[in-house]
Amino acid sequence: MPGVGDHVVDMTESFIAIRDALPYLLHGSMVTIGLVCGAMLLGLALGIVLAVGHVYGGQVIRSVVGVYVWFFRGVPLLVLLFLFYFGLFSFLNINLSAFTVAALVLGLISAAYQSQIFRGAILSLPEGQFKAARALGMSDRKSICYIILPQALRLSIPAWSNEYSIVLKDSAVAYALGVMEMMARAHFVASRTYEHFPLYFTAGVMFLILTYLGTRGLGFLEKKVRIPGYAR
Amino acid sequence: MTQTPVLRIEGMTKRYGQKEVLRDASLSVNEGQLKILIGPSGGGKSTLLQCINFLVTPDAGRVWLKGEEIVRTQKKVLYEYRQKLGMIFQDFNLFDHLTALHNVTIGLVRVKGMSKQDARDKAVYELERVGLKDHISKYPAQLSGGQKQRVSIARALAMDPEVMLLDEPTSALDPELISEVLTVIENLRANGMTMVMSTHHMGFAREVADEIVFLEDGHILEVGTPDKIFLNAECDRTRAFCSKILELYGSA
Amino acid sequence: MEEVLFIQHDVIPALWRGMIVSVELIIPSALCGLLIGIVIGVSRVFGNAFLKTLANTYVAIFRGFPLVVQLFIWYFGLPHLGIYLSPYVASVLGFSLCSGAYHSEYVRGALLSIKRGQLLAAQSLGFTKMKMIASVVLPQAFRRALPGCGNEIIYLIKYSSLAYMITCIELTGEGKIIASETFKYTEIFLIVGIVYLLLTSVASWVLHRIENRLRLPGFDNYGL
Repeated sequence: MPGVGDHVVDMTESFIAIRDALPYLLHGSMVTIGLVCGAMLLGLALGIVLAVGHVYGGQVIRSVVGVYVWFFRGVPLLVLLFLFYFGLFSFLNINLSAFTVAALVLGLISAAYQSQIFRGAILSLPEGQFKAARALGMSDRKSICYIILPQALRLSIPAWSNEYSIVLKDSAVAYALGVMEMMARAHFVASRTYEHFPLYFTAGVMFLILTYLGTRGLGFLEKKVRIPGYAR
Repeated sequence: MTQTPVLRIEGMTKRYGQKEVLRDASLSVNEGQLKILIGPSGGGKSTLLQCINFLVTPDAGRVWLKGEEIVRTQKKVLYEYRQKLGMIFQDFNLFDHLTALHNVTIGLVRVKGMSKQDARDKAVYELERVGLKDHISKYPAQLSGGQKQRVSIARALAMDPEVMLLDEPTSALDPELISEVLTVIENLRANGMTMVMSTHHMGFAREVADEIVFLEDGHILEVGTPDKIFLNAECDRTRAFCSKILELYGSA
Repeated sequence: MEEVLFIQHDVIPALWRGMIVSVELIIPSALCGLLIGIVIGVSRVFGNAFLKTLANTYVAIFRGFPLVVQLFIWYFGLPHLGIYLSPYVASVLGFSLCSGAYHSEYVRGALLSIKRGQLLAAQSLGFTKMKMIASVVLPQAFRRALPGCGNEIIYLIKYSSLAYMITCIELTGEGKIIASETFKYTEIFLIVGIVYLLLTSVASWVLHRIENRLRLPGFDNYGL
């Protein structure tokens, strides 16, 4: 067990380790950002479809959406990563990179959560909006695309921002498949330099910074698309 | 003199669970006519109007527009039919995320397939007609109730409707804003627009309606000229309703 | 036939073993997490400036760092400082500290929702600050915080699978081992997934029961 004096020396060594690893970690942050962007966009597209199905679909569609949401919200990310990467895709003979599978699984899970966000937003809109669109002769599809969703998506931004910070943190689990994102790189360097604590802490701070930047960006977006005079 | 009515409905019936809110209502509206539905709240006026363009699906009933029956199960027929009926709602139902201008253009562009520039020109023209030239780039939340209702009238007019349906267009408005909307409606009538309107404004009804329809408990009890309904109603219920209204508001 | 025997003799005992470990991870973590959440939440609302800053920093870090990073810090990082934890202890520590930060959010929200009049009434009865918090505020806030905290426990059940990443062999870990031996990844992980679904479903059922049990007549409407 090292004495107190050793730690003073350790500190400078820690800083050197962090400094040396930083470019490598920053490169990893690009991978993390890629994972999160892919997952959020897939979650957005699929989440909208699921939400619309959940609100306007018939009995069958609603049950399908319900089962989907129940499954992807109830099974842990790590289990789903293993299931898809080692199981389903190799069973179906589909060759996907670990990165792709991780983004896909994160996206499928996020879609379940996002669908609930959008569903709540759609249900919070006054019924008259849909009626007025129909009265103009719009089909249901057009009413949803041009009248319901533009409003519902605006209302969803704060919750979406929260979902972003969750997906960002969850993306670190992709390390389990060997995706070289920030966490994996921090661990890789740590196990060579034996500076575990400083490197993990640095990775953690980088996640904090990405959370901050992302939520600030979405806050800016929310202001930008805010409807003048509209209070909720 | 027989004239094909612009709009004819027959046997409109609507039930919510056990409650029959509309029973076997029939109506025909001629070119340029203003028909006004009166009657107690919850009497079925709103349901009748919304059944006419199938925003509420009736349990029974048939509709003809210019002599042609509307088969509402055919989506394309239904959507085209709705374009020909302008609908004005009690609480405006402007699209909250769009400016006054875009509230008017969206139907032209997305439903009628008009070019953006043509739609814009037409929308500006319609908004000018209802006296909102200076407000075209405002959002609904920045407009007063009267202005909102006039935007919604412009939105409906822009679609070049054959008939306008107005569901208590003034009852969500502050008293001082009511006249600006009623003036617009009077102008429409003067220009020969065919309209069916429900209202609680007996004075307005008496002055401008061609025919008054009295609805109670989902039944059309009596139809007639304003003078007949207000002074000489055949039905006791109509008389009772009118005298109560007269008592409440003085001159009818 | 071989399949059935295989499932009976190998898969079920292994997954059962794993599930026991998972439950042994979840229950202490949930309890410690809740305790930490209450302490931190109370500090954030009633503490002095120093305590508030400390608690807020705690929450910012433990909610902001990914749980995997936290687990790695406890398991691989602490030995750097001369502290060695077993995978199990490191997992429970990591889960407790992280979910404590989340719990504190709900506790804080619940505390802030207690009306000022309640505090004035307690003070006028001569309660000390500690006594007031313990006997007036917490019993009410607990009920308000319950749905959020319950949700957090459901999350904990799912996130307990991450213990596998620091070599604590629980349900996911046992599944991974068996699957690697037999190459039946799809089947095994589907079963593992279903077990988690069962665990979360049972937990949310129990939490619902507790919520109903503790419901005070009319409490939701006007805060008693």
